[in-house]
Amino acid sequence: MIVDRIVRWARQKSPWIIHFNSGACNACDIEIIASLTPRYDVERLGLQLKGSPRHADVLICSGPVTMQQRERLITIYEQMAEPKFVVAVGTCACSSGVFQGCYCVQGGVDTAIPVDLYIPGCPVKPEAIIDGVTKLIDSMEAKKK
Amino acid sequence: METTAETNVYETENLLLSRLYGRFPALEGAGAVTAKRRVFLPVPMEHLLDVLSFASETLGYSSLCTITGMDSGDCFEFIYHIASDESGVVLNLKTRAPKEDPVVPTVLPIYNGAIFYERELEGMLGVTVKGLPAGRQYPLPDNWPAGQYPLRKDWKPEMLTETATEEK
Amino acid sequence: MGKIVVPFGPQHPALEEPESFSLLLEGERVAAAAVALGYNHRGMEKACESKTYIQNIYLLERICGICSHAHSTCYVESVESLAGIEIPRRAAYLRSLIGELERIHSHLLFLGVAGHEIGFMTFFMYAWKDREIVMDLLEDLTGNRINYGMNTIGGVRRDISPEQCERVLKAMDQLEERTKYYQQVATEEETMLGRLAGIGVLSREDGLRLGAQGPVLRASGVARDVRRDDPYDAYSELDVRVATDTHADVYGRVVVRVLELMESYRLIREIVKNLPEGPISVKAPVKIPAGEAISRVEAPRGEDVHYTRSNGTDKPERVKVRAPTLANLAAITNMIEGGYLADVPIVIAAIDPCFSCTDRTVKLVRAESGENRTIDWQGLRQYGIDWYRKQGIDMEKIKISRKDM
Repeated sequence: MIVDRIVRWARQKSPWIIHFNSGACNACDIEIIASLTPRYDVERLGLQLKGSPRHADVLICSGPVTMQQRERLITIYEQMAEPKFVVAVGTCACSSGVFQGCYCVQGGVDTAIPVDLYIPGCPVKPEAIIDGVTKLIDSMEAKKK
Repeated sequence: METTAETNVYETENLLLSRLYGRFPALEGAGAVTAKRRVFLPVPMEHLLDVLSFASETLGYSSLCTITGMDSGDCFEFIYHIASDESGVVLNLKTRAPKEDPVVPTVLPIYNGAIFYERELEGMLGVTVKGLPAGRQYPLPDNWPAGQYPLRKDWKPEMLTETATEEK
Repeated sequence: MGKIVVPFGPQHPALEEPESFSLLLEGERVAAAAVALGYNHRGMEKACESKTYIQNIYLLERICGICSHAHSTCYVESVESLAGIEIPRRAAYLRSLIGELERIHSHLLFLGVAGHEIGFMTFFMYAWKDREIVMDLLEDLTGNRINYGMNTIGGVRRDISPEQCERVLKAMDQLEERTKYYQQVATEEETMLGRLAGIGVLSREDGLRLGAQGPVLRASGVARDVRRDDPYDAYSELDVRVATDTHADVYGRVVVRVLELMESYRLIREIVKNLPEGPISVKAPVKIPAGEAISRVEAPRGEDVHYTRSNGTDKPERVKVRAPTLANLAAITNMIEGGYLADVPIVIAAIDPCFSCTDRTVKLVRAESGENRTIDWQGLRQYGIDWYRKQGIDMEKIKISRKDM
């Protein structure tokens, strides 16, 4: 079962996730947190939400890149050690969504840093976050070989 | 022309206007009831603070919803949206400042919670709110170029990137 | 004129350039606080001027993902007023239905966040688990968990079936049963009271003077609620009861929201029972006649205000939005000053702010020495939890529990 494989892998590796909100409406952020709560429970997959970029394996970004947050986003990315993975969660993070053309909004996350995984949705459903995360784990496995 | 039916339906609103006209005869006839519980009244800048004080302290319009600032082409317009808990009416007092002298007085002594609304007038339109205490600009980001006021009609988002390109 | 002029803004040179929140400390107490906002500014009002009225529904819905229907409703109602449209009664009831469901999800979210901020993780998990009931319902009725796309100019876009009505009623029963747990913890648990009472105080007078809104103002004893005072949608035909409390502190803000949950369950039952027959929308013009309109709704966090000016075209001349959190933020320094540093996270969380507050950094300045350091939100939260634990208040020791977890 793919879930068992993922659970085993995650318990061995325990990837640490850092979450960055670069100007979202918070809908995706809430769904990311909802993924941690009892019904969805991403933590059982071994993933943990942490605070410091220096120890993080995965950077989850929600929201479009705004003028005021761009530098900070880049700094956080640069502070992470290799191998590192970036996930753009939500349509805004993928492409700036409805905010395209708003003057403080510069674009999706990949206009500032490289993105490994795009999970669209407005907002992204927890099921899609989990689906995305499992794909990410596959990709992390492949990268480490 | 209002019909009798309309006058009865808008009784509270028309009473509000007549009380304002009574206290400030210069405003007579200028107001409009646009919908149930919605009154709009233009006020010359020199009467603004007096009208707001009267509305707040005597008529019970002690809640400031927000202040709308806009670029109306030949002038800047400011609308003070104030509400009464008792009647549920929103009274919208409109005033203007010429583009050459874009100054409006602070209403903080009357509405102590107006701070962000007034900072926004300065930040977004580049007008001066006279008497506003010193403090950080709201709501634009720290790296916003000086002298650019997004809500002005002649400002376009492209002007932001033009500045950035120049700086490079 | 008897009003006191209260100087707002940094009262101490050390706090002159507030980054996020800046706090001047005397010992363990906050002597002065300053708040800087705008880090989430996107430029939406300007963007509205170059989009059609319909496009703007989808944009404004995303001002905040938590009160998205409130913003959408407030906006379309200002446009409907400009267009001289009256929406069908069935549409008005459906708008209120989604509005109340949104209030439920928002208040349960708040209870969870509040629990999280004080280290009461069980409470957080319960609240967000219960919240899934209403999220499922919203998805059932609108197709999405957040950002519902329910409104159009002239009414709503989706109708509700009798089967869906049944599911709504069943969900209200489930939620009401579970909310009794929160009521119990809030009123009977000494630890909860000890942790939340007497902090973040905002007197009735200060609340009114500074323009606080929603549950924050109602917890200071002011019975103000747009649904009753300036009714919109179906509220003029519903029995709206305004929930208040007189504690005027964080505890009161929790109590008011729990009371409002119960009120929402009751209102939703009333809405479903009295749902009028008929169409769900009327045709709206593409070009809106020149004019101006202001609308207000009672969003979960308080009064939301939208002003719209039209110019006869298909795009607005000006759209102005004042979300409730901005009104409450004018009062936040009043609530923090004089209190303990350990209380800052929960006091801020208790206004249920519409920004991602776990992302904020806080600058701490020592009054005696002038030295300063920056602490991130997680650090401040942990400081608060540890500080209270040393006083013997440990949220993990709460006895009241539920059988379903």
